[in-house]
Amino acid sequence: MTKPTVIVHDPTLRDGQHAVRHQLDVKQIRSYAAAADTAGVPVVEIGHGNGLGASSHQVGHSRLSDDEMLATARQALPHSKMATLMLPGWATSKDLRNAVRHGVDVVRVAAHCTEATVTERHLDVIRELGAEAQGVLLMSHMATPEELAEQCALMVGYGAQAVCIFDSAGHYLPQDVTVRVAAITAAVDVPVAFHGHNNLGLAVANSIAAIEAGARVIDACARGFGAGAGNTQLEVLVAVLERLGHHTGIDLRLLADAAELAERTLMPAPPTIDSISLVSGLAGVFSGFKKPVLAAAEQTGVHAWDLFVELGRLRVTAGQEDMIPDAARELAAHGGLR
Amino acid sequence: MLTTAVLGTGLLGLDLIERIQNSPTLTCGLVVGRTPGSRGLTQAAELGCTTATGGIDALLDTGHFDVVFDATNAFHHPEHSRKLADTGAVLVDLTPTSAGALIVPTVNGHQAATHRHIGLVSCGGQASIPILHALAQHYRPSYVEMVATAATASVGRASRLNLDEYVSTTQAAIGQFTGAEETKAILNISAARPAPPFRIAMTLVAADDVKQGPVGALVEAAEVAMQAVVPGYRVTSCTVTGTKVRVIVEVAATRSRIPVHAGNLEVISAAAIHAAEQHAATSIRKELAR
Repeated sequence: MTKPTVIVHDPTLRDGQHAVRHQLDVKQIRSYAAAADTAGVPVVEIGHGNGLGASSHQVGHSRLSDDEMLATARQALPHSKMATLMLPGWATSKDLRNAVRHGVDVVRVAAHCTEATVTERHLDVIRELGAEAQGVLLMSHMATPEELAEQCALMVGYGAQAVCIFDSAGHYLPQDVTVRVAAITAAVDVPVAFHGHNNLGLAVANSIAAIEAGARVIDACARGFGAGAGNTQLEVLVAVLERLGHHTGIDLRLLADAAELAERTLMPAPPTIDSISLVSGLAGVFSGFKKPVLAAAEQTGVHAWDLFVELGRLRVTAGQEDMIPDAARELAAHGGLR
Repeated sequence: MLTTAVLGTGLLGLDLIERIQNSPTLTCGLVVGRTPGSRGLTQAAELGCTTATGGIDALLDTGHFDVVFDATNAFHHPEHSRKLADTGAVLVDLTPTSAGALIVPTVNGHQAATHRHIGLVSCGGQASIPILHALAQHYRPSYVEMVATAATASVGRASRLNLDEYVSTTQAAIGQFTGAEETKAILNISAARPAPPFRIAMTLVAADDVKQGPVGALVEAAEVAMQAVVPGYRVTSCTVTGTKVRVIVEVAATRSRIPVHAGNLEVISAAAIHAAEQHAATSIRKELAR
């Protein structure tokens, strides 16, 4: 029996930004994009870690503007599709028009897992602009399989040509992914995508579980370059897919070279599952909170582990970085000192 | 007494009705919705209001109103504005459109009576501009940012479809009130349970160094002034690092028709009533002078 083809979607140059405070420069973007293109990676995602228009004090100012990032990457991607991400309330339709003018082929519109209704307008704008529109549900472990299926169906109704669930906190076990992806594939007739994080060391296993449950697009980053413990490791994923017999169209040997280049040029060190990343996965908190949590813990004298557990209890979602110092002060006031 | 009409029957419309009924100088003449028998229209009728469906045309058919509150959405506001232009009605816009004169009660509320088309920016604008404006009077800002987080249950469909207008109108208004060269506005929707109060994180980067002392006093004065309009308005933190001032505000609603977390609705409906009452005060003064 032939195994289904898997489209590998590579957000190294977007999600990886979280690990370097959104400081990737022109040379870094150009060289990695060219290497990924040469290896045959079908889709390469570009942008600030939080997407279009997100450069801010709240989540960090990026070194390059959206214009500079997209123009640089487009030149280096003669074959691969170029993708980007946006969050309604952070970026606007103006940013979408600008991105499409720069040659973006795929735009992902992302919302917290229960808030798909905010994607209605922007999915429609992307379709009108003629780009491929995909809907993303962030922090998807915070919703039940039924809720996710419902939210994905809404996005398809708004025009999404693929729907994607992000394991933003790296909280899933393979069986969690299986039930969610199965529920979504049963509810929609567009490709389903899965975006894993490696906080519990399960990103590749979770991605395989997603494919077995019907997902056809998998996100993965070179060396796992991404927020916190990092993402699903791209070259490992593709090797595993080869062993399982899934076609990806990627030349693994060239991809391994691209990953070497990524390690050498993009990151101070490849992501690792340190104790902070472990607790953020366990507590179900957005991996991108690592740096601000460490800063707040340092400032207030509370233990970063306890702060992550507290943020998980508060169900704080991505983008609410302003909650971190407050939660740390509260914890310090209530004797949560190390 | 000024006779008012309310366009829109979401939570915001219902809070407006209650405030109008409690106002010594305003009466509610009509509430207009879209769908016959909708929950909002039913509740408006229960509050004793005359109701109609059919939008702005129904309102125009009913007769003259001194003040019309537009609590619909930014897509429909231009049409409402155009159709009301010749009626002499004061239009108070609660949608995130930047067409009217922008009014924030504690900053330039006294000017409301001189404008017949009033814009209220956005909930984030109403909650942040009093503090940002106070700081900008003393420190020349080069960059100002506002991140608002509203509980999911307090953000209706119209607001969700108007996020682009929310962002651009708030950014422009913050620039207008602070003189900052660069401004950034962001809206988060929180699904946390229990629903958190409306929260606004502000960052002002000054062109020159800032000292903690005067910053604290400025922020506190702005907070106290706001509490006279919005009782649930509270500064939860104010920190200064070098040239950067960071202020966080939470707004809890104190109204019967809206849940406690919906401070976002409260700041803008309080501002709307404040503006209408300024007009009422002016018309009373004119009558007395006659």
